[in-house]
Order: sequence, then structure tokens, then C-alpha cells
Amino acid sequence: MDARGGADESRATILANGSPENLRSLPRAGSKLRVRNWLASSPPVIWGIRQLREILIGALKQGPVPQHVAFVMDGNRRFARDRHIETVEGHSLGFEALARILEVCYKVGVKVVTIYAFSIENFKRSKHEVDALMAMAKLKLEQLSEHGALLDRYGASIRILGQRELIREDVLVAVDKAVSLTAKNKKAILNVCFPYTSRAEITSAVKTTIDTYSKPLGTNPPPLKRPFSEKRITQHIRNQMLSAVPEEASEQPTSRSNSPSSLKESNGTSSSTSTAVNPSEKDEGQHPDPAFLDPETITEETLNDNMYTAGAPPLDLLVRTSGVERLSDFMLWQCHEKTSVVFLECLWPEFDLWQFLPVLIEWQWQQRKLQEQERGRGRLKTE
Amino acid sequence: MAPAEVPAVTAGVGPKETVAFRKGTIDGRKQLTAKEREALMDPYLPRKASPAPDGTSSRLKQHKRKEGLLRTFIYISVYRIVSFIFSVFFRFRRSWRLVTGKAVAVLKHHHRTPEFIQRDVKHLERLPKHLSVILDFDESDENLGHAGLEGLTSDVCEIAAWTASAGIPLLSVYEKSGKLKNYMPQLHKHISQTLEAYFGPRRKPTLSVRAPHLQSYSPPNTPPLNASPDAASVSPSRSATPKSENGHLNVLLLSSVDGRGTIIDLTKTLSEMVQKGAIEPSQVDSNLIDQQLVDAVSDEPDLLVLFSPTVQLKGYPPWQLRLTEIFHLPDNKGVNYQVFLRALYNFAKVEMRLGR
Repeated sequence: MDARGGADESRATILANGSPENLRSLPRAGSKLRVRNWLASSPPVIWGIRQLREILIGALKQGPVPQHVAFVMDGNRRFARDRHIETVEGHSLGFEALARILEVCYKVGVKVVTIYAFSIENFKRSKHEVDALMAMAKLKLEQLSEHGALLDRYGASIRILGQRELIREDVLVAVDKAVSLTAKNKKAILNVCFPYTSRAEITSAVKTTIDTYSKPLGTNPPPLKRPFSEKRITQHIRNQMLSAVPEEASEQPTSRSNSPSSLKESNGTSSSTSTAVNPSEKDEGQHPDPAFLDPETITEETLNDNMYTAGAPPLDLLVRTSGVERLSDFMLWQCHEKTSVVFLECLWPEFDLWQFLPVLIEWQWQQRKLQEQERGRGRLKTE
Repeated sequence: MAPAEVPAVTAGVGPKETVAFRKGTIDGRKQLTAKEREALMDPYLPRKASPAPDGTSSRLKQHKRKEGLLRTFIYISVYRIVSFIFSVFFRFRRSWRLVTGKAVAVLKHHHRTPEFIQRDVKHLERLPKHLSVILDFDESDENLGHAGLEGLTSDVCEIAAWTASAGIPLLSVYEKSGKLKNYMPQLHKHISQTLEAYFGPRRKPTLSVRAPHLQSYSPPNTPPLNASPDAASVSPSRSATPKSENGHLNVLLLSSVDGRGTIIDLTKTLSEMVQKGAIEPSQVDSNLIDQQLVDAVSDEPDLLVLFSPTVQLKGYPPWQLRLTEIFHLPDNKGVNYQVFLRALYNFAKVEMRLGR
């Protein structure tokens, strides 16, 4: 609704600010627009808009507020293409939109904002664009790091989610500085997904979980759940079998390992060799099997805690601009349950309070309806 | 470059600040220092956070409190007004959408005839190979005749018939609780009957109903194709191509346990294997996980159709959602052909952009 108006306006202003030939050819429209522009950038109007924004934000605060909001900042490139400006320019206008929307979010009372800044897939783009994006990230982070005192007072703590090893060295320095500078801010969190894909995130959570569960617990093993020791049983059986079948050792691992057939083919060979070696090693070593955490204790929480977003409140709202109705490998684990996913037509650089306001109000409205429903259900149950 | 000078008219930020923000300079001077930037920022920062000097008189404090009260009063009243206006707007919009939806539904109806559906999708250049839908198990008896298992089954039957008519080989049906999985033979019978009603007994496509970790259901009275023995062992996407003149439809039933639960189970299995030394932790990568999840559950659907008024994924398997096109008709409630058709239209128009 507002998107189109905003677009027209910006297009008009481009005209107004365009080359002098343009203005001369359209003298009337040009002067009209110039007056409008002059009016729009006059201090009282700016002050008025500022106050209006403050009031709206303060008003939004009175209702339920999402605790965790995620944005897919899509449409910078199309914005640039539509307006015949450079792609990089589109990205920096996108950054401006981000600054505006972050201000809105934190003033409304959102605790965590997660933004999809850069996908691992984006490395496939032209080197020029990737370099420019990296340079922009570096510059903004460096500028940010210069404001230590202000950050302490107002700042959110910045966290970078994603594959750190893919970040360029010099950018990484800026990233680390900004992250460590803001680490102690408790008021709000800004998660920047920077080389990120959700599948990589889930994979890394799975791997971290596996790592914790495959570390031997050290000297004191946990109390056994049942009074029988697996090892003694296998030993017993082995002793019995040894007399009958001499090649028992090679058969043992296949019955023990958990369905290696479900593995990929490439892993099949290596797994069978490693299992074949393993039992003999155990037999030589006199000490008992290294004790592990029981994999059955792995729960949703375990994986949740190993996601990049560990500790953040559940994702309430995910907004994607530019009309593409796809998640594009973003927050899959976090958004597939109760999150409201909203797809907007407007492009990211156009995104502002005026586009975000209806989304927030609709969310609040749905939230209120949900509460009413739950109350109704509760009443039914008690009756 | 001129076009970059677009002032953010509605942002409430002055032109000086906007330029400073964009270029880091004012009046073409050198880069701003950190101090200058902070001075520029000052009027935009929240006031209350500034440390109040302690020596203020009580009168000033009182004045401040009054102002604060006034502000909260304004906020609350604006909140009430705005939410009232919007709730009226939302209601109007919903009724408008319902009316237009009904109009389209009358104009475009399938009349339980596959030819009509084929005509509707004929000119679409791109059809999904794997269509997925999210359905709700409706416990309440609000909408008569469409509640409970019966309503759910009839929804699945209709969607399956549309899918088969459109020539899409694989349909996966997600329902959170997984109740359908307990009635696979009955469901198979019902869908077959619906297909027969649509296509007639001779042109009826063959059908198999599957669910992860359960025996696939393709009774012997379906023509003896390689589908029935294979469906259980081969991955779902591959088993969907038996050579039959009438086509073949695979229906895959999913529930919330196939989402996070399956990933957790996979983690458990992998941890166990690493503990036993069967695999190295470094061998675990996203390809391995993907392979396992595709085999155990399904591959990525091309198109996910929601029949709910808003987009809420209700626990749909997350791994599979990566690039799936998600379609919903705002304010729509319940399964209908119009949503199905619009989803296919929408899908055909969208260009695939992998790198965003």
C-alpha cells in the first residue's frame, strides 16, 4: 500500500535531483517537485515527522511486541536496477533502510533482531559486488567501533552468525572488534547472519552435538542405567564363540555398529575398516571402555543450544521483502514452528516504519485473537 | 552520482544528516571524525537514557513526571485508535477477499473433471515436480461436515485428485499430529475412489501412499507396476516414475515427527556411530545429513501450498524447506481448488534465483 507511494516519491525525487537537462525539459514538474522537496526537508516538517514516528513507536509499544524479529533484506539489487543506479549504491541504500528499521525495532522493544546480511550462496556473485559488500561491512563496523561510550549507553550487542572461516581476514578484524566492544550490552541483540545458510547452521549444530557426545567423560564414568555391563556380556559371548568360530573378531563389529548401510557409499569402506580395528584396540587396552554421554539424552533443546541463535527467544516474526515467497535457506530451524512469516512486495531499500507498521499491527492483532481463542478454550475445558 | 541523493523524506532525518550518513562527509569536507558524528547523532538518541544530574529540584522532577504521564496517555490513545482503525480495515479486507475468492471459485471450478484442471494448467510453463500441502486437523465442529478425520481425508482426496489431474507425480501432505498415518489403508481406498470419480475406472492413475518409516501402501489391485515393491526401498522421488499410460501418483504423509524429531534421531545415530568409532566426526557434513533426510523423509518440495490465512509452518520439516516456494492466499480458510490453482500459477511465473 505504502510501497508504491514511496517508490513514486523516490522516483520523483530522482527526477528532481537529476541532471540539469532533465530539469529544463520539465520546468514545471521540476519546480513543483523542488518546492515539495524543499518543504519536505525543511526543519519544521522534519521535526513533525520525527514526532509522528516517536508517537507511533510509543503507541506500538503499548501492545504485545515480538521479542525476536528476523529480516531477509531482499531487493537491493532490483532496487538499483529499477532506478538505474549501481548495485553497490543499492546495497548502501539498503544499509540505510536497515539503520532505520533497527531504530524502530529497538525503540518498540524488540529484544533480538536477526538479519540475513550475506548468504554463503552470495559468494557466487561478481567479485566486484562481493568486494564492495565486504568493504561496506568493514567500514560500517569500524565506524561503529569508534563510538565506545555511545555504544555502552544505547548499543545492542552485535553477534555474527555464520561461517567465520569464510570471512576475509581484514573484515574479520573489524568484526571481532565490534563484537567484543558490544559484548557486554544487555539491552538488545543484533544477530548479523554473515556468510550464513540455515543448512550450514543445522549441520554445525549437529556436529557440535556429536563432538560433545563423543568426548570421553574422563575418569569417573556415569552410573550405569542398568546393572548389566554390556562389555561383560560381549566378553562372555565371545569366550563361548571363540571355541567354535575362530574368525569371530571380524564379525563382531558388524553386529555392533549401528546400521552402517545407511551411510553414504564413500564412508562405507572407511567405516568398516575403522570398526574392524576398534575392538582389537579395546581388547589390548586393559582399562574399561571410555564412558560417553548417552546419545538418547539428545533432545530438541540440545540442538537448540547448539544453533547460532542459542539463548535467543523464539522467533516471532520473519519478514522478507521484494515479494519473493521463499525462505532461501534462512532460519529454517527457528521459523518452522510458530513464527509468523510475512512476505512483502516492497524492496528492502524502501522498507521503513510505514511498511513495517501494518505488519506489526497485524501481528499484534493476530496475537490478541490467539489469546482470546486460548482463553475461550480454557473456559471450555473448565466448564 | 546524482540518483543517490534520494532524500529519505519520510524518515524524519534532515538532509544534512542523510548526506553525512551516506558519504561520511558534510559540505564536501573530509571524513567526519567520531566526535563530529556523535554530535550529529545526539538529537536522535533517546533522551531518557542520558544520566540525569542529581541536583535537580523537585519541581522540575514533577514537571518531568507530568510530561511522562501525558506521553503515555497519548501513546495509549494512539494505540487504541490505530489498532481500531486497522482492525476495521483487516475485517473489511477479509470480507473483500472472501467475496473475490468466491467469485473466482465460481468462475474456475474443476467440476470433478480432470480435463478442466488440465485445461487450467495447460499453458503453465513450469509445474512443480513435488507439491506439498499443509493441512489442519480440525477438532472443533464449527464447520459442519468438515471436521475431524473425515474432513481431513476428504481434503487429502480432493487435493490428490487435482494433483493427479495436473500431472504432478508427487504430493506430500503435512499434518502436524500425524493422525492420517494410522489410517493408510483406508486413506488409500478413499483416494482411489476419488480418483475413480474424477478419471473413470479405466483412465484412473495408479496410486501409492507412503509415510516415512512405514510400509508403503500400494495394494495388489493396482496394475502390477514396479512401484509397489520399490516404493518402500527406493527414495520417494525416484520411485515416482513407473511407466504407465495413466500416470502414477505418490502421496507422502508427513507429520511433525518428521521435522525436528528426525534430525534429532539422526544426531543420536551419528553420535552413537562416532562414539563407537564407526565414523569420524569430520565425515559429518551437510551432504551426509541431506542424503539421510532425503532418504528418510523426502526431498525438497518445489511448492508448498498453505490453506491457512497466514504463513505459519506449524513444524513442517525444516531441512526440506530451503528453497521451497511458499504460497498462501491471505485470509483464505480451508481447502479449495482456487488456492491450489493460484499456487500453480504463481509458481509458474516466478523465476528461480538460487543466489538470491
